Amino acid sequence: MRLVLTGDDRIAVLKDNGIVDVSSAFADLKYRTAADRMPRVLAALRDRRKQVEELAASSSVEPLGALQAPVPRPPKLLAAFGNYREGTDRERQEQDMFLESPDSVTGPDSTVVLPNHPASIFHHEAELALVIGKRAKDLPADASALEALAGYTCAIDVSGRGIGRMPPSRMGKSFDTFTPLGPAIVTPDEVPDPQNLRVTLSVNGEARQEYTTADMEYSVVEILAFLSGYMTLVPGDVILCGTNHQGLGALQHGDEVRMEIEGVGVLCVNVDDPLRREWPRGVDQEMADRVRNAAG
Amino acid sequence: MRVATFGDSRIGIVAADETVVDVTDLLEQFDPPGPEHLLPDLIINFDTLRDELTERATAGGGTPTAEAQLHSPLIRPTKIICLIGNYREGTDRPIQILDVFFKSPEGIVGHNDTVVLPRHQASIFHHEAEIAVVVGKEAKDLTPESAMDAVFGYTIFEDISARGTGRPGIVSFLGKSHDTFAGFGPWIVTRDEIPDPQALHITVDVNGERRQDYSTADMERPIRELMTYLSSITTLNPGDVICCGTNHQGLGAVQDGDEVITSIEGIGSFTLHVRDEMERAWQRGIDTEMAERVKAMAQQPDQQANGEQAS
Repeated sequence: MRLVLTGDDRIAVLKDNGIVDVSSAFADLKYRTAADRMPRVLAALRDRRKQVEELAASSSVEPLGALQAPVPRPPKLLAAFGNYREGTDRERQEQDMFLESPDSVTGPDSTVVLPNHPASIFHHEAELALVIGKRAKDLPADASALEALAGYTCAIDVSGRGIGRMPPSRMGKSFDTFTPLGPAIVTPDEVPDPQNLRVTLSVNGEARQEYTTADMEYSVVEILAFLSGYMTLVPGDVILCGTNHQGLGALQHGDEVRMEIEGVGVLCVNVDDPLRREWPRGVDQEMADRVRNAAG
Repeated sequence: MRVATFGDSRIGIVAADETVVDVTDLLEQFDPPGPEHLLPDLIINFDTLRDELTERATAGGGTPTAEAQLHSPLIRPTKIICLIGNYREGTDRPIQILDVFFKSPEGIVGHNDTVVLPRHQASIFHHEAEIAVVVGKEAKDLTPESAMDAVFGYTIFEDISARGTGRPGIVSFLGKSHDTFAGFGPWIVTRDEIPDPQALHITVDVNGERRQDYSTADMERPIRELMTYLSSITTLNPGDVICCGTNHQGLGAVQDGDEVITSIEGIGSFTLHVRDEMERAWQRGIDTEMAERVKAMAQQPDQQANGEQAS
């Protein structure tokens, strides 16, 4: 099942030919905003799955319109440091992760606004994102950890480099609009092997990132086990599994970005820079080589 | 005014006679979707509620604070932003480039709660006493002139920190995001009661032994500047918490059985207990090695992001 949040705050199931409104399955949940509603919806989804599926099968399909991020404001936004082998055969690095501002999330077809901060460059980082569906602490690093998931979605971890004094820059990834997320939460039953997904990202039709989650150093279940060994994960938490740096490039004014994870979805955003700064176009080869060499 | 959470998700005002007066009924009009909304509702509507809250606190009938079972005033902050080293620490060096990390809001514990040290192989677990700002309204791109209007109040924060875990060569700060590692309380003091937040004395006593002892006057970037800068990065929400950093001169280990009392002038005293199932032992007293290292770091010219690392 693919769950989306519409632009006008309805919860819907995404189908091949449109969406079906399933909001009525969650009508009893009290909320103020979509931000605090979706964690409650995801917590309830497990027990209401059958009801939602019946609604999705029996109600009328309407055309797909504007969508918000499926979790417009996650309780926590967590991200992995470099978590791909990047074409090397090195030993995997020590596992480590960090938190970003959950207010950085933005939805499909929205605009990433580059801030008036002196970043050396703003990079795209296409990543597989995990969405948590139930409270979890100390999960084991095996398939049972996946029971904590509501599902998978696409994320672009937009990264302003050189902000702050201790790299890697957490602030540079925390600007408002710097975490496009969506379009749908795809439930785990539709993703039989999360370690065999092809991730691509293009800018203005030009291919940039192209990699597979088979190359991850620490798998999805290892990420869940690692993080939940530190902190309680709660419904709506979003975890970014890291990117492969071979293929990163600058984002700049007017860019149209399209990322796709095979079997998970297509996420498009555009870029606005009120300052109209310019960087070289194409793949940032210097960054790619540096990360490969650091990893080797 | 001092605002507290106590008992079974009750919101109270701490009166002058050190009793907590229950005002939860005044917040029911906002129809909170859950108890975690009660205090944010009070924060958002404080200007209109203020007179009534004051009357209630003055009328009395409260429970003595010692018997009231105080909890963290915010059940769950919407985000916790922590400054990285924001004190001059007795040096006269130029101020450093501002930087922050985000801390897990699931780590929140309140007055008299227990910090549980995890089994992770940290080199040490430190206390870090900080003054924390509680954000009062949604704010983006504040100006220095308007920045303090977005402050609801202040409280005491203990940024418990596991050292030496994570990937070598980078500092992830994840060792600060273990559950129970965010001490917060005992209450929030509204902004009007702290006319100058840059002149407050902060102390930490562990089992009666003095550790940290510093003034917020030594802050590199004052609260006004922090609010201005951070709101240029990320939208601030009512119920967000900004921890202003610590002075590392006086940090020390926290270990099994410790009682950690953090006090900030004009705010109060906040107690945490420490439990470690593994009963590991570290040297007691001030960690002078850490203190010297931070001072030495601070006196070097800034090593700014040459060669930003991968993430």
